[in-house]
Amino acid sequence: MTSLTSILSGGLQGYVLVALLLFVIGLGAVLTRRSILVQFMGVELMLNAANVALLAFARFRGGDAQGTVFYLFIIAVAACEAAVGLALVVGLYRHRQTTDTDRADALKQ
Amino acid sequence: MFLIFALITLVGAVALVLQRNLVVAGLCLVLSFMGVAGLFLLLLNPVAAALQIIVYSGAIVVLLLFVIMLLNEHQEEPAQKARPLQRWVSAAVILVLGAGVVKLVAGSPVLRRLGGGSAPAPPAMTLGGLGDALFSGHLLGFEVAGLLLLAAMVGAVALVKRDL
Amino acid sequence: MLKLAWLIPVLPLLGAAFHGLLGRRLGKAAVTAVALGCMLVPLALAGLALSAVQAAPGRRIDLPYFEWMAAGSMHVPFGLVLDSLSSVMALVVTGIGTLIHLYSVGYMWEEEGYARYFCYLNLFVFFMLTLVLGSSLPLLFVGWEGVGLCSYLLIGYYFDTEVASAAGLKAFLFNRVGDLGMTMGMMALFAAFGTLTVGEILTRAGHLSPEAGFGVLTFATLMMFVGATGKSAQIPLYLWLPDAMAGPTPVSALIHAATMVTAGIYLICRLAPLFLLTPITLTAVAWVGGATALFAAVIGLFQRDIKKVLAYSTVSQLGYMFLGLGSAGFAAGFLHLFTHAWFKALLFLGAGSVIHAMHHQQDLFRMGGLKAKLPVTFWTMVIATLCIMGFPGTSGFFSKDEILFLAWHKSPALYAMGLLGAACTAFYMWRLMALAFWGEPRDHHAFDHAHESPATMTVPLAVLAVGALLAGLLGLPRIWGGSFAIEGWLEPALSYGRPFIEPSTEGGGAGLAWGLMALSTTVALAAGYIGFRIYRRGPAAEEAFALRFPALYRTLSSKFYVDEAVEACILAPARWGGNLLWKAFDVIIIDGIGVNLPGALTRAAGDVTVLAQTGRVRNYALGMAIGAVLLLWIFLK
Repeated sequence: MTSLTSILSGGLQGYVLVALLLFVIGLGAVLTRRSILVQFMGVELMLNAANVALLAFARFRGGDAQGTVFYLFIIAVAACEAAVGLALVVGLYRHRQTTDTDRADALKQ
Repeated sequence: MFLIFALITLVGAVALVLQRNLVVAGLCLVLSFMGVAGLFLLLLNPVAAALQIIVYSGAIVVLLLFVIMLLNEHQEEPAQKARPLQRWVSAAVILVLGAGVVKLVAGSPVLRRLGGGSAPAPPAMTLGGLGDALFSGHLLGFEVAGLLLLAAMVGAVALVKRDL
Repeated sequence: MLKLAWLIPVLPLLGAAFHGLLGRRLGKAAVTAVALGCMLVPLALAGLALSAVQAAPGRRIDLPYFEWMAAGSMHVPFGLVLDSLSSVMALVVTGIGTLIHLYSVGYMWEEEGYARYFCYLNLFVFFMLTLVLGSSLPLLFVGWEGVGLCSYLLIGYYFDTEVASAAGLKAFLFNRVGDLGMTMGMMALFAAFGTLTVGEILTRAGHLSPEAGFGVLTFATLMMFVGATGKSAQIPLYLWLPDAMAGPTPVSALIHAATMVTAGIYLICRLAPLFLLTPITLTAVAWVGGATALFAAVIGLFQRDIKKVLAYSTVSQLGYMFLGLGSAGFAAGFLHLFTHAWFKALLFLGAGSVIHAMHHQQDLFRMGGLKAKLPVTFWTMVIATLCIMGFPGTSGFFSKDEILFLAWHKSPALYAMGLLGAACTAFYMWRLMALAFWGEPRDHHAFDHAHESPATMTVPLAVLAVGALLAGLLGLPRIWGGSFAIEGWLEPALSYGRPFIEPSTEGGGAGLAWGLMALSTTVALAAGYIGFRIYRRGPAAEEAFALRFPALYRTLSSKFYVDEAVEACILAPARWGGNLLWKAFDVIIIDGIGVNLPGALTRAAGDVTVLAQTGRVRNYALGMAIGAVLLLWIFLK
């Protein structure tokens, strides 16, 4: 079947494309927005993109549980990252009274 | 079906990027996650879909919204200095990447081969099956993940305390 | 005795080491004892060496010690050679050196650097003896350079004065220019003969026919003469000698009258057979010598400083020696060296005595009437003056006349120059004597305190006076009934390696000799008498002359402005060129472009690249994204 049909009908190519586009959009959020919280959301989007790709491959290669186990670990890591990251956001706010990452440039030369 | 969920995911993501209000952005994130959960369902993985909704939309986004409310800054601050260079170069990079991605996926023979729908669909993932795999073959990883969560918890508390 | 010959130069070296290292701590008495001891023993040994040489076959004793340099085909031995020439010269150096050491004890007793003075003086004697006795040209050159060094050290003895240090440097630099000629001459001789040992060079040269050997040989001898010009203060390298009078007077006596400045003449005598093969060089030597003799004598006519008069007199007399050598009268030139050493040393030491008595007053116009106050000094200086002007019967008479006789045969113009120079010599010497010793004292304060010098100073004066009178016996000419003994004595050394060639004396027999002798004597006596009469009552006549002919007087008394010409034509352009090279080349090109420019470029590059360090995470993430895009593009192309 052609790529377009495969994409539009939910074949592997479709899921991978969705995952990659999601990743790119998440990257766009990090690069384009100044608020640290929005950047954090972008990072979550990127993680999810990885999850989608992972589970898509798992299903199209036999469907064993390894893919889902790995997905579980990724969730665990994302949770930890969210906890610590948001703690840092609170800390930044306490020091600088701002969540604008452009103002956090003390390492500027 | 796939198209619907895919569009939900991507539109939510795009809306997130373009949104000014932080709370609305958080809700767009939730929408995106829902889309992803739907995609997981289509991938014959109801466990993953459930976990996605429970953990991601239910816990992480809630935590995020907690922090947004705590800081009480719903709008992104006006910029100290407009930086067009960053904006335009980022946009260019994103577009290039996006185009490249599409081209890559469309033109990849590997994906085509793998995605050829000749093989029969595998059975849907079950929680029991996941549990079996998790606690037998990947026990060590499970334990380490637990430790990681403990460390993150302690770390988050330590970072936020005012005085030790 | 021959086993101890090496002590002759080495003992003064040991003395110098003693004075340099221990002299200050052990005191003046110890220094005096060691200094005189290290001169008397070599003197005795030199005397013994002379008698040994007389008995030796061919009047030559070679004493090689070890192989000094061996590189490829060049083998330079380290050894001494005692032949008729070097043994006499060694005797002159040690003999007059001892007398001057004795004199210096009295002259320098109150000076601060007593030990330093004798260290340098002994060191000088060591180097001079190395020069005289060395068997190979490099060893001679070691002595040559060494005496230049000691001359610098001793001229600049009063190093805390600007004048003395500048004079020392000037002497050394002029010597250096001459040394370049000497080095090139040595290289040319090595190229021509493949050896640097004097004996071997002369032997190989002896096998050349008289017509052969031009080109390289002429070049070599001319370069050697250039070296001699620097050391012996001939035109154009004489400018350092008058300035060298800034050193202590005994130094002037030893180095700039008797020994170092005669090194050039000695060198030419050593290589006499080579010079005889190159008549072009000999002609050059004769003319330069004659010109210097006249030129320096004219300058000496109106100098006010007593030592400067004697300095120009030395330059002039050295010119006479070269004139003799250039007329192929090597023995005559050497005889004049010998006699000049006696009476010029005497003149300098006497002048030192006068200066010492007048409390370091050196201006002739402020002296006068010292005849009665300094009797020994006065009478010895009279003897020396008679010698230098060529009074019949004195040593200077015989040596100068022989030179003039030979000069006539070379070219009558040379004889005329010599005759004119002799007239000027007599004039300025009697001017000096009259202004210093006759007339009314012009500086009463100094005159009242003047007294005769101590014995350590007057005894050498007396000894030198006797020597000055008797030295002429060595050169008693044949027309007087003598045998011109010096020529016979030196013959084996001057003609080593080849048959002896008598200087040509055709074109006139005894009659010409008597005629020339009479003419020069009359001219000298007349000039001396005129000089004496004019200045007997003081410098009034000269001051009147200065008023009547101001330009002429100024030119003569300013030494024909030669120093100023050198400054303007050579030194100033060199300084200007150096300044230009510094400001343009060094500062702009090397410092600016070579050193500072890369630094500035690096800093600028850094200033540009640091703009990427914004401190903002967004920007860094963008950088990473761009990098990732590039990598993917490369890998997936």
